[in-house]
Amino acid sequence: MKAEGLSNLRHSLALRITVMFVTLVALAAAGLGTYLYRAFVAEIERRDDIQLLGKLRQVQILLGRPGAAELLRKRPDFFRDTMSGQENSLVRFVAPDGRVLADINAMGERYPVPPSAGATPGRSAIASWTSRGGEPGRVVAGSAKLESGPLTVIVARVYGERSAMFARYRQRIAAAAGVSALAAALLAALLLRRGLRPLRTIASHAALVRPGTLAQRLDLETAPSELRPLVDALNGMLARLQDGYARLSGFSADLAHEFRTPITNLLGQSQVMLAQPRTVAEYEQLIASNVEELERLARMIESMLFLARAGQADVVLARQPLRALDELEKMAGFYEGMAEEHGLRLACTGSGSVLADPALLRRALANLLSNAVRHAAEGSTITLRAEQHGAATELSVTNAGPAIPPEHLAHLFERFYRADPARRDAAGSTGLGLSIVRAIMDLHGGMAQVRSEAGQTRFSLVFPAA
Amino acid sequence: MPILVIEDEPKIGDYLQRGLTESGFAVRLARNGRDGLAMATDGEIELIVLDVMLPRMDGWQVLEALRGRPETEQIPVLFLTARDDVQDRVRGLELGADDYLVKPFAFVELVARIRTLLRRGPPREEDLIRVGDMEIDVIRRRVRRGGNEIVLTAQEFGLLHLLARRQGQVLSRSIIASHVWDMNFDSDTNVIDAAVRRLRRKVDDPFGQKLIHTRRGMGYVCEAQPVAAA
Repeated sequence: MKAEGLSNLRHSLALRITVMFVTLVALAAAGLGTYLYRAFVAEIERRDDIQLLGKLRQVQILLGRPGAAELLRKRPDFFRDTMSGQENSLVRFVAPDGRVLADINAMGERYPVPPSAGATPGRSAIASWTSRGGEPGRVVAGSAKLESGPLTVIVARVYGERSAMFARYRQRIAAAAGVSALAAALLAALLLRRGLRPLRTIASHAALVRPGTLAQRLDLETAPSELRPLVDALNGMLARLQDGYARLSGFSADLAHEFRTPITNLLGQSQVMLAQPRTVAEYEQLIASNVEELERLARMIESMLFLARAGQADVVLARQPLRALDELEKMAGFYEGMAEEHGLRLACTGSGSVLADPALLRRALANLLSNAVRHAAEGSTITLRAEQHGAATELSVTNAGPAIPPEHLAHLFERFYRADPARRDAAGSTGLGLSIVRAIMDLHGGMAQVRSEAGQTRFSLVFPAA
Repeated sequence: MPILVIEDEPKIGDYLQRGLTESGFAVRLARNGRDGLAMATDGEIELIVLDVMLPRMDGWQVLEALRGRPETEQIPVLFLTARDDVQDRVRGLELGADDYLVKPFAFVELVARIRTLLRRGPPREEDLIRVGDMEIDVIRRRVRRGGNEIVLTAQEFGLLHLLARRQGQVLSRSIIASHVWDMNFDSDTNVIDAAVRRLRRKVDDPFGQKLIHTRRGMGYVCEAQPVAAA
């Protein structure tokens, strides 16, 4: 139960804010209540003290009148009556020799006697005491002059009904604080429900997004300013999803299209051959041709799987430091025969090292070289170059030949993109070579680039610091 | 001793049986895992070609059962998988398979793998290989034919050496790329074709009898008496 409550608190924004708000209101109410109570108590006490001093003054004046000593001796009750008939007013007269001349004390309270503070005592001369009933009391002593000589007057009071009033006041303040906290909780919950409505609107809009409705965007105008970054971010995400989705569906369409050609070949030529009896040589010819088409399909599937896997995050590269020129020379050796047949020369230059997965590096370079051999002008030289740019290493393949129009350059690394749609090697190209190059460079955290101008086309692989 | 092929897909099973028989192996074919396991247990089987996706009892279970029995634990197993992910391959090899091929595979590739698995110990490297009237001196890296010395580049020699060492065997382009140039991926097939053509110009063209032959759709083979294409 407790754990569930805690996790609720962690997960519900409304609950969290409500709890914080209620705590705040309760603290404020309690603080204010305490302050008001204290001020009230201090004020009442001050008033009572001033009254007590007033009583003392009254008695002093009474005692100063002619015949007061006579009165004191014969009718001490007279002094009690002058205390406005209050039973809880206590008065005592003490002679300088300590003899008690009169003591008005109906309840028989015992209270301490503070030292006399002279003719006009202030509040500081008042002392506190506690009655037998546990109620607070105050007492003050002052001097008076009888005709017969000086005298000490002590006036004391018990404030029974005052503490009862304070207790009632405390209860009311506590009740008010509680009620206001409760009201705050209700109000906060209500306001939050209203305040969070835009969030629910966004959520309900987002819930409507389907692959087919990716073009829709969440409404930025009606969103409160605090939620605009969220709406912006969600719209950005939608845009990226839409883009990726469009590319994926374009890719599947391309894929189906690319598969159609070899399958049409296979189906068509096989059916034509089967329509009539043929010689063994013709059947052999057919099967061999079918094998070539099928090999192309198999290569295409392998390339597709490679690209699909390269897109996953958990690809493990077997990176190792390689001498760049060694790798280029190895590649040149592999392509030597093919280059020679096209009347091309291969030249390797440069130095440096590169941190790469050798199998993937070779695959990328092979794709670039296949391209270069296919497009190089006859009799020219293809240059394989390794260059060090600071910590990065650039491996490039440059061939002479007609420049690729700039509008194609940006798309060359896309799957199945062909600058010249009519040009399609029977056995070689799957249309995926350069996208594999880019995928390999992405895996290495590097870049694949192309530059084509003035009869020179240069593809390069930039590897980050070794 | 026969090879056991355990494969449920009818066409693949049929052509594997036929192709391997024609390549000179005795072949027994099982159409599901349970039959295959039974045949492996009671027959003298030299090697098993095992498809992973099988009805009733899949390839992994068959492999585990094979490795758990003393009479079958030594039989080399080459498994075929359509799922080319690393986990699948690792699982097969951990369960005790000796090699694997990913579908679709070239048939000559399968034959080459089977031959490698059946060869007991590393092949003895011959110092002098003869194919017809050609002599290859492996140590001095020299080639003579009909008394004439043929000068080859290092790459050309490597290619000829591979073809001659495995004479009579059809070698696929990917095997050639992998063995001669260490290129272990499906490379541009034109590259291998061009390299073979270049080698032929030196080794075959000046002479009457051709030693390097194209097997269309499969690869290349080096032998003195070419048999009619089968």
